[in-house]
Amino acid sequence: MASMAVGATARPNVLAALRHSGASPYLFIVALAVAMYFVLGPRQFVNALTIGAIYALVALGYTMVYGIIELINFAHGDVFMVGSFVSLFVLTNVLGQEGSASDLGGIVFELAITFALTMVIVGILGVLIERFAYRPLRNAPRLAPLITAIGISFILQNLVQIIYGPSPVNTPQVISPTARVDIAGVSIGWVNIFIIATAIVLMVGLQLFVSRTKMGRAMRSTASDREAAALMGVDINRTIALTFLIGSALAGAAGVVQGLYFGNIQFVIGFQSGLKAFTAAVLGGIGNLAGAAIGGFFIGFVEVTAANFGYFVWAQAAVFMILIVTLVFRPAGLFGQQLGERA
Amino acid sequence: MKLTKATALAAVSILAFAACSTPAASTAPSAGASKGELKIGVTLPLSGGAAADGQPTLKGAQLAIDEANAAGGIGGYTLKLVPLDHAVNGKYNEQQGAQDMQTFVADSKVVGVVGPYNSAVAKVQIPISNAAGLLQCSPANTNESLTKPEFGALDYRKSNPDRINYIRVAATDDIQGPAMAIYDYNTLGLKSMLIVDDVTTFGKGVADNFQRKYEELGGKVVLRQGAPADTTDFNGIISSQAVVATPPDGVYYGGVVTSGGGLFLKQLRQAGLTIPFTGPDGIVNGSGSDEGSLINIAGVEAATNSYGTVAAIGDFPGKAAFDSAFAEHFKADADFKTPGAYSGPANACAVVILKSLEAALAAGAADDAAIREGVRKYASDPANKFETVLGTESFDANGDTTQPYISFYVTDPAAKGGVGDWAFKEQQSFGK
Repeated sequence: MASMAVGATARPNVLAALRHSGASPYLFIVALAVAMYFVLGPRQFVNALTIGAIYALVALGYTMVYGIIELINFAHGDVFMVGSFVSLFVLTNVLGQEGSASDLGGIVFELAITFALTMVIVGILGVLIERFAYRPLRNAPRLAPLITAIGISFILQNLVQIIYGPSPVNTPQVISPTARVDIAGVSIGWVNIFIIATAIVLMVGLQLFVSRTKMGRAMRSTASDREAAALMGVDINRTIALTFLIGSALAGAAGVVQGLYFGNIQFVIGFQSGLKAFTAAVLGGIGNLAGAAIGGFFIGFVEVTAANFGYFVWAQAAVFMILIVTLVFRPAGLFGQQLGERA
Repeated sequence: MKLTKATALAAVSILAFAACSTPAASTAPSAGASKGELKIGVTLPLSGGAAADGQPTLKGAQLAIDEANAAGGIGGYTLKLVPLDHAVNGKYNEQQGAQDMQTFVADSKVVGVVGPYNSAVAKVQIPISNAAGLLQCSPANTNESLTKPEFGALDYRKSNPDRINYIRVAATDDIQGPAMAIYDYNTLGLKSMLIVDDVTTFGKGVADNFQRKYEELGGKVVLRQGAPADTTDFNGIISSQAVVATPPDGVYYGGVVTSGGGLFLKQLRQAGLTIPFTGPDGIVNGSGSDEGSLINIAGVEAATNSYGTVAAIGDFPGKAAFDSAFAEHFKADADFKTPGAYSGPANACAVVILKSLEAALAAGAADDAAIREGVRKYASDPANKFETVLGTESFDANGDTTQPYISFYVTDPAAKGGVGDWAFKEQQSFGK
């Protein structure tokens, strides 16, 4: 029943849900973004969008997994970290790239290969983690998979530390970080534009996948009611594995972006980014895809705004203050947990 | 992995020297068979990004111990260097540092400790070593509050405020910070600065000292920011309102590279700011081929036009001899074959401990407790002078060196076949 109802009226449901939670949060976000543009200026605005895009891509994985099996996957930040190292491996060992690519063709070719391979490899890693660490515990008390997730997090960190050592490692920045373009008199790095565009394309793709395809429908129905979905013929195991595949692949993409933007990665980066992405997911309403994405950008803006006005040292405190305030006044997050829409 | 390799090498070389010293012992003035083994601890961050700081420093101390053993040991005892690594995840870690100090204190054969490297670690170690009366000689700690009562040093030596057990051969940050301020303002002619610190004991302290002096000279601080260790994105600071409105002439980074100094420099250059990047000894940590060094992380091109202070004498009298002895001794090692900025000071620290041990034994100290106290007492006595590779060292009533030197280094992109390295530029004495 549930699956049919959701399937038959997928689009009106989304609209209804939007109306139900009120469109006001979204309008509020748009207004806030416009205000931020004037407050921060175009250059800082782009900085915030770039860093926010990375948080948002990681946050999507948190929120998808929570939506479908109500597990806070604490290993997700480290899946992102593994993604950055896989992209390093692909770039240096498979493509033999050092430094920046010189021509546009080379850039497109290398980035295409790097994104594709990294997302596939990290996606498979996510599926394996689900298969061997979480599935056996699916009916165990909530605490058990949570602790397993922390364990997986340590395993991933230590594996990377053994292979690449504990020092920060330089990664090739395929798009030269000094390549800039003037847009309306403001010099903006090509790499920033690329990162923001990539993140938006991936997010829109994810949203379309979840709302328009059969597999996306299976994900939504599993999220609403796992048993009912199973009764309606949805393969639960496959659907959950698919969720992990997509969530981890997005984290992999975020990992590629991290290396591309900073040119330097370390095996500990998963913890910080994971924590912030988790905050983003909670901020947007955990289980809510659009909420997680906006939450990610929101945190990017908080950090850059703090830096812009000389309070960078308070940026992290501000991020977590906002988390606490959200949990106190809107426990379901800014955009609500929209159970029907979550995936 | 690097750590185990280094430890194994250290162990092997010590064994080798111990084996050599057995026949030599009969000719040693102490006469008679070896009385056994005494230990000298080394507490440094030795792995990961911190290896570029710790490893060359450890080797400076090791050279002194190996040479002493080769010459027949001290007073009939052979010496064993015991290095403990307090880097966790490639960064110095205070808790681990405290634990290592407990280990040294509990081992009655440990007569003195060389280290630590980072002031934040010293803050947690000094109370422990002070209570036990174990001598600690730091080659690199610069935070002024560790020794000087007017900056709150008595909080660290609460157990025995008058029994000095912590000495250092490095100059303090109330000298190091202002020295760079003068250098930036007068020598480099930088009239406005962006100051960023890493919000640690050392980083914030030295940046405060820098800023005070710089403003006193008439320099303008465009923006002062704290970027906690683990910060990866400095773009928000680099293109912040204040910096864009009044572009600074230069940058001062108060902190260490493991806190993100390398990424900060890299992002500065990517944003098109090629102004001088200056900082304390925390940024002068090895060549472009040492993993985790500033030049390695930022890239040799970005590291060009960077200046750093080192709170030690850079061009010391015995430098040429020390450098060649160092290179000869560690030529078989895979990494860190050349001395770092604090190899000489670590060597001096080890020599101070050895000379104090010799004096304590000569004065008749027999059991372990008496030897430990004898070493502490002799080393911390302002009346005693020590001939070290750095020159004649002595310590004042607080344990600070009486000859505080600041050396200035600049990055040389052509060094080491194009990977870049720090080159010594000049030094100044700030002694009274």
